[in-house]
Amino acid sequence: MMRSALTLFQKDIRLLLGRGSGLVQALLLGFLLIFLFSLSADMATPTTAKAAAAIFWMASAFCQVLIFNTLYGYEEGQGQRLGLLLGKTPPQAVWLGKGAAALVALLLVQALLLPAIAVFLRQGFVALWPQAILALVLANLGGVGLGSLLGALSQGQGAKESLLSIILFPLLLPLFLMGIFVFAAAFTGEHTQEVGAWLRLAAAFDGTFLGAAYLLFPYIYTAE
Amino acid sequence: MYAALHAVTQFYGSRLVFKGVSLRVEPGQVLLLAGPNGAGKSTLMRLLAGLLLPTQGTVSFGEALQHNRQALAYLGHQSFLYPELTALENLHFWNAWEGGKATRSMCEAVLERVNLLPFADEKVKGFSRGMAQRLTLARVLLQNPLLLLLDEPASGLDTQSSTMLHAEIAAAKQRGAAVVWISHHIAHDIALADAVALLEHKRLAFYGTPAEFATRSTAEPAGGAA
Repeated sequence: MMRSALTLFQKDIRLLLGRGSGLVQALLLGFLLIFLFSLSADMATPTTAKAAAAIFWMASAFCQVLIFNTLYGYEEGQGQRLGLLLGKTPPQAVWLGKGAAALVALLLVQALLLPAIAVFLRQGFVALWPQAILALVLANLGGVGLGSLLGALSQGQGAKESLLSIILFPLLLPLFLMGIFVFAAAFTGEHTQEVGAWLRLAAAFDGTFLGAAYLLFPYIYTAE
Repeated sequence: MYAALHAVTQFYGSRLVFKGVSLRVEPGQVLLLAGPNGAGKSTLMRLLAGLLLPTQGTVSFGEALQHNRQALAYLGHQSFLYPELTALENLHFWNAWEGGKATRSMCEAVLERVNLLPFADEKVKGFSRGMAQRLTLARVLLQNPLLLLLDEPASGLDTQSSTMLHAEIAAAKQRGAAVVWISHHIAHDIALADAVALLEHKRLAFYGTPAEFATRSTAEPAGGAA
């Protein structure tokens, strides 16, 4: 299964980076959101750390939806989904391959969004670097685990963008809250005991999301 | 036995496709599936490919197919090809996905067999229908499968490519592979077949040798099958 997942991951990354459309769209949307929110801030007083963190995670969430729509869109049109289901490769290889490709794409996008946050919203990490990175990893892991499951659910649906957002966003709320809280703490440098508690909570959600997505994926992806 | 259908009845929702179909696919056998449009030929193929579960009855596979991921290859109405990848990349991807370890030279060799080697590094989105069909055939051949399921493989192919298709089916049979083949050109393709199955009137109307089929067709022409 791991070899097939790696094969799919390599193919998706090649298409995503080679063609660029999905990634560029996501990036432009992220930049646009950050820029628009920066216009609402007063020049004298920068956006608060919590607001900046919320804008970052909101941009990430929308980018994630675009990335999954692009990734699952590759298997539409020529019946490629059926091809992936032929043979004896477990369907979870699709979930894993797509999830891994989305994680790399999302990290690439976020690596460019963070400097935009620094420039337009005048925020930057001043402390809690390890915790902020861990928060990024945990929020993204849970996000792509669940996104890969729900991306499969919305594959082939006419209004897939809406369907994916409607189901995905409410479920990811705990991870977004954690991300906002930890990033705000990292932007201000105010150490707090609650950071650890948020990270543990996110880890628990990740475990639940990843486990449930792994188990449910074959039922969703193989359904006609 | 490579695959067998035992008293299979298939519904799509409340619509009956066919009922009580039983047949066997033996090693080295070419089974020609005939029947008018909508008779359920492609449905039967999808059952054999494991893409559908029968409403009633069972589909079983021989030992050789149960433990080999690459043993079964399916060429359906859709090509499974990624338009943004090149011909070589498509072959590589599908081979690796099925657990194969085909090298570039192996992929090139199979592209040469289907006369696509000059287009190996071109993106599939620029291919004509016939070229895409030949590349799909190359994908199937690269697998070196024991059971080939070919749903109208000649569609979009010119005369030269149809001859190549016949040669590949004969070669597969020669090495002991079984081929289940849906064709609308029975008169042309029956020479390669060892058995003919005719789906008509929601049932298996005929299942026997090409000679028996020819006798039956003379006595009672099969609508749209020949």
